[in-house]
Amino acid sequence: MMQKFVYLIINKLGCFLCLCFLSLVVNAQDTDIKITEEPVMAQESSSWTTLKKVWHEDIQFHGFFSQGLFHTSGNNVYGNSKNSVSAGLTELGVNVSYQALNNLSFAVQGLYRRAGESTGDWGEASLDYAFFDYTFFNSSAVRMGLRGGRVKNPWGFYNETRDVASTHPTIFLPLVYFDRSRALFLSLDGGQVYADHNSSVGNFSYKLNFGLMNADDDELLMAVTFDPTVSGQLKGEPSLVTQLAYESTGGLYAIAFSYAHANVSYTPGNTLDPYTGLQLKFNSFILSTQYNGEKFSLVGEYALQWNQFAGITLIRPDSEPISEYWYVQAGYRILDNLQVTLRYDSSVQDIHDRSGRTFHQQTGLPAHLMFTKDIVVGLRWDITPAWMVRAEYQRVHGASVVSGLDNTNIPERARDWNIYALQVAYRF
Amino acid sequence: MLSPAFAVDVIINNANNEQFSQAPNNLRAIFSMRTRYWPNGEKIRVFVLPDSHTLHKAFVKEKLQMFPHQLRRTWDRMTYTGTGQPPVTVDSIAEMLEKIKQSKYSIGYIDRRVDDAEIRLFDNQ
Repeated sequence: MMQKFVYLIINKLGCFLCLCFLSLVVNAQDTDIKITEEPVMAQESSSWTTLKKVWHEDIQFHGFFSQGLFHTSGNNVYGNSKNSVSAGLTELGVNVSYQALNNLSFAVQGLYRRAGESTGDWGEASLDYAFFDYTFFNSSAVRMGLRGGRVKNPWGFYNETRDVASTHPTIFLPLVYFDRSRALFLSLDGGQVYADHNSSVGNFSYKLNFGLMNADDDELLMAVTFDPTVSGQLKGEPSLVTQLAYESTGGLYAIAFSYAHANVSYTPGNTLDPYTGLQLKFNSFILSTQYNGEKFSLVGEYALQWNQFAGITLIRPDSEPISEYWYVQAGYRILDNLQVTLRYDSSVQDIHDRSGRTFHQQTGLPAHLMFTKDIVVGLRWDITPAWMVRAEYQRVHGASVVSGLDNTNIPERARDWNIYALQVAYRF
Repeated sequence: MLSPAFAVDVIINNANNEQFSQAPNNLRAIFSMRTRYWPNGEKIRVFVLPDSHTLHKAFVKEKLQMFPHQLRRTWDRMTYTGTGQPPVTVDSIAEMLEKIKQSKYSIGYIDRRVDDAEIRLFDNQ
């Protein structure tokens, strides 16, 4: 029975929604009966108020919205921002969660996102997550369970909520979360096993995701091939993401170790497609640490990624570059609702070719496509708990993480450039 | 009772009159939504004031020994990954009191100086 249920949810997200609403109706009736038998609250006697009560207490709606403005020199970000102004980043999400039973809940989030050329002028709507959550063990200290459907990937501190502006301190996420690999690492269709342990020294949590990642993404394809004429599509193969996290009591310190293994294949666009046979494998880990005090906060993350590109020896030999990302970020709360952030960020595409010299010799393309280092200064003002505005300046050296779709003329990408950004965000 | 600072009281609509510890560890687990059920298995209904409310700030510091932004980080992660539901936010102390009175197995906090004899019925301290 359970297996069939899991199968249904994984394969038919539409069925999942029906199940969700069906169980709402069942539960509403259930609660109705309970209250009739046990009329504790006289004012809650009508079925309408009962339904309203269930609605309020077990179903929650939340959402978020953000809009950014960008002005840059040298390279484009989120549309045509170079020596111009782009309003090319819009994020809008709405979610509903339903606690059907003490050990069973459902959650769905829809996302609309417009992010420069990667989504086009009209943006893209997607199902961000949709899953059931079944808790099979629950005590005051330990909770274990299973989530099935589309689940977010626990990778580093910010990946799970990367599209929710108010959950990260700066407009641009650190380079390790760069947008070109966003689609791949965002979520997977499959399942998650989780375990949480609350102890007197803090909280431990473990998550293991297994399933298919979404690799059908033009930005990723462009980053892999450097070829605007490529006609096929990337396809996710069974992959896993896992994270072990610790948070001290109260959340003053947090440490997390995440590991991901992603497999991607290529579906040719036509019979003569030169990329036929392309196989990609990514193995990466990220170590995340955070101090989160009353006024001062400090975050550092370090990641290594082993990339395997194989199967297109007619175009280029198989290669296994190792990418490295790290950053240190300090925050200070001038007031409870006014925070300044400073970050130094570094990324290299291949630790054996940090300067990009070998890459330049082999391809003739600029060496600075192989690294990016930047300094970020940001100021965030939470006007109310719901509304936030922030401003940011970045001095960037290198162009490894710029969008290939927003900057199609690859040899002309600038090495040293600036980003000025503003963002307004709302959440509920 | 004329202390200028807020005097925070945790209030509970404790239908079964069960023993309940107000140790920071226990309250933290409840308000972080990690402990989700009372010992009798009933779901804990948690009510809070907005992050910017002076009483919320006082409550989080005094009773949880945390800062509001730390709590917000935990709630946000649940809210926007679908892995949990954050507490219900009410707009005022009066609304908090009303909600706690109406909801069985609920928990919240008020300013001790609020003049309402009924509170004692819900406060097991």
